[in-house]
Amino acid sequence: MIVGAWICLVAPLAGALAITLAGTRISRTTAGWISTLTTFVAFAGALVAFVGLWAEGHGDREHLSTAYTWLESGDFQVELQILLDTLSSTMMLIVSGVGGLIVWYSMGYMEGDEEERRYFAYMSLFVFSMLMLVQAGNLLLLLIGWGLVGLASYLLIGFWHSKPEAVAAAKKAFVMNAIGDVTLALGLVLLIWETGTLEYLGVFEQVDGLSTTTVNLVALGLLGGAVAKSAQIPLHTWLPDAMEGPTPVSALIHAATMVTAGVYLLVRASPIFEAAPDVQALAAILGAITLLVAGVIALVQWDIKRVIAYSTMSQIGYMFLAAGIGAYGYAIFHLATHAFFKALLFMTAGVVIHHLGGEQDIRKMGGLRPLMPRTHLAFLVGALSLAGIPIFSGFWSKDGIVAAAFASGDTLGYTLYAAALTGALLTGLYTFRLYFAVFHGKPSELVKEHSHDGQREGPLSMLIPVGVLGVLATIGGLLVIPGVWEPFLHWIDETAEPTVKATVGQDYATSAIAVTLGLIGFFVARRASAAGRQIVTSPGIWRVLEHKLYFDEAYDALFYRPAAAISVALRRNVEEPVVERSLDEIGTGTLQVGGEVARVQSGLLRTYAIAIAFAVCVLVVVFVAVR
Amino acid sequence: MDGPDVGWYLIVAAILFGIGALGVMMRRSPLIVLLSLELMLNAANLTLIAFARQQGDLDGQIFALAVMAVAAAEVAIGLGLIVAMARRRMLLDVDQASALRG
Repeated sequence: MIVGAWICLVAPLAGALAITLAGTRISRTTAGWISTLTTFVAFAGALVAFVGLWAEGHGDREHLSTAYTWLESGDFQVELQILLDTLSSTMMLIVSGVGGLIVWYSMGYMEGDEEERRYFAYMSLFVFSMLMLVQAGNLLLLLIGWGLVGLASYLLIGFWHSKPEAVAAAKKAFVMNAIGDVTLALGLVLLIWETGTLEYLGVFEQVDGLSTTTVNLVALGLLGGAVAKSAQIPLHTWLPDAMEGPTPVSALIHAATMVTAGVYLLVRASPIFEAAPDVQALAAILGAITLLVAGVIALVQWDIKRVIAYSTMSQIGYMFLAAGIGAYGYAIFHLATHAFFKALLFMTAGVVIHHLGGEQDIRKMGGLRPLMPRTHLAFLVGALSLAGIPIFSGFWSKDGIVAAAFASGDTLGYTLYAAALTGALLTGLYTFRLYFAVFHGKPSELVKEHSHDGQREGPLSMLIPVGVLGVLATIGGLLVIPGVWEPFLHWIDETAEPTVKATVGQDYATSAIAVTLGLIGFFVARRASAAGRQIVTSPGIWRVLEHKLYFDEAYDALFYRPAAAISVALRRNVEEPVVERSLDEIGTGTLQVGGEVARVQSGLLRTYAIAIAFAVCVLVVVFVAVR
Repeated sequence: MDGPDVGWYLIVAAILFGIGALGVMMRRSPLIVLLSLELMLNAANLTLIAFARQQGDLDGQIFALAVMAVAAAEVAIGLGLIVAMARRRMLLDVDQASALRG
């Protein structure tokens, strides 16, 4: 069982190393297969670990396996260890399973790209890092995984390094994430200081003994990391730009796995957050704000991938909300179903983009439904799931979160509830705006240009993973039917006991409202599409939304410009006149003095002799006279 | 103690040293310069021995022997340099040998 977990962790690393070391000796396809197969091996390992864990009794499902002691400093030591429990095994299955499908899909999508081998090496590195993050048995290993996924994300966003926008987006993602990494690291340092350990179990035992300030600071540090990694307000601006990367990367890293790492951290460290209720509430509030803001911005975007990116932010907002009010099971459940349907949406978007020769602007799309029937069906499944229409997976997970917000009571709970319901309406609006713009209406010029009779919708390596995810997105939600059967929630509850639980009545009442709102969104979007107008009609609001509420501009004015101005001022007033000139002066001064002194050295022996004799005379006089 | 007072020796040594120093400073032939240097060294030796005799111990005399050894070595090198200059057909004039000026 634990062996399966180790195999799961090591297999993608082996794949990445193999592709890197083999270099150009293997063909591009081979590199793709190595990456795909090692990821599926990881999935098999995760499956073995999961089944082993499943077979064990309730309450025994927690295994810590240590390879060796990695760091030792006095009493403090860090071991290379993995923690296998219900939460981590679920995450392992999602990461390696969805990851394997997406890597496989990449083989079709990246076909013919110049540097496929590098791409697949990065993908394997990412899968390894993400597994490291979720399997880590202590917070330091988690931080390492945290940093490595950031690196892999940076490398893959900037994969097309000849595109300046891609390079800029990669840098932006890295910098924004670095802010979160720093707060996370500071939180860990404080934990080491106060508790002397970073092991989850050791830390959680001691949380109650810590002062309120300490716990709050630690929780804030962790929350900062989670907010940056999961692209929540205020550190969210990197995610839409990250869409410059290849589409499978967006599907894997910026939808299904990495961006949900923040949610995983909130759930994993739930004892710390429960000891700091204010910070936990802050997480829920940030989630609610993000889900609303991202939802409205998604209404005006033209880039198919950016719309989906904003919807990702919005859905992660739901997960933060759930983790913030203590509905951990639903947070992870939504994480899982979101991984299915959002990866599905990105991959169908990828099929469309691939089909249209790289075009991402939805204004140039339209009428694709009869030309790409299977893609259309898959996208529709993803859209229905995202909008929370019954039987599709998003319905079960999202409504659970909304109901839990209601059940948590008090003013905050009801406010979050209202925000989440508004979010449901927005989700329906932007999802179906996108759906109708891409698949309905008259075929555009571009679409006609790329459509030929009898043409396949894409290579099989792309269509099969899309099909599998389509099935998962359809039925994946059936793991939780409130009041009837809730195995997924019970499974997660063993690791993170929820602090709030909606009654069955609340659940179904909320579902009714949320589904109605989703359907309203659908019909409004359909009417707008049929009438050929947008959902947001006011040009003023449109402009504000198009600038994404001016977050980028604000950060530019608040941080970048002052920093740049200070730098320029320092260069002009300190560096150039003081530091540089002083060094120059020392140099030229020494040269001048040297030139003067050199004249004394005439090379004439007799002059030297006279000088010595004269000096001796002077010395004698001085000694005699002064004494 | 027999013989002249130590002051006389010192006067002779001073005259010898002065002649040597003037020779070094004024003559241009390297050979003469070398000879003048020897004069100065020997003037120093004379003072050493004179004082040794006055004090009645042997330290000064031993030191004079050491100075002689150094002087012999110095002459060997100095003459070697002069021979080398002659072989290269350089003018035997210390004022001309000033290639090391700054």
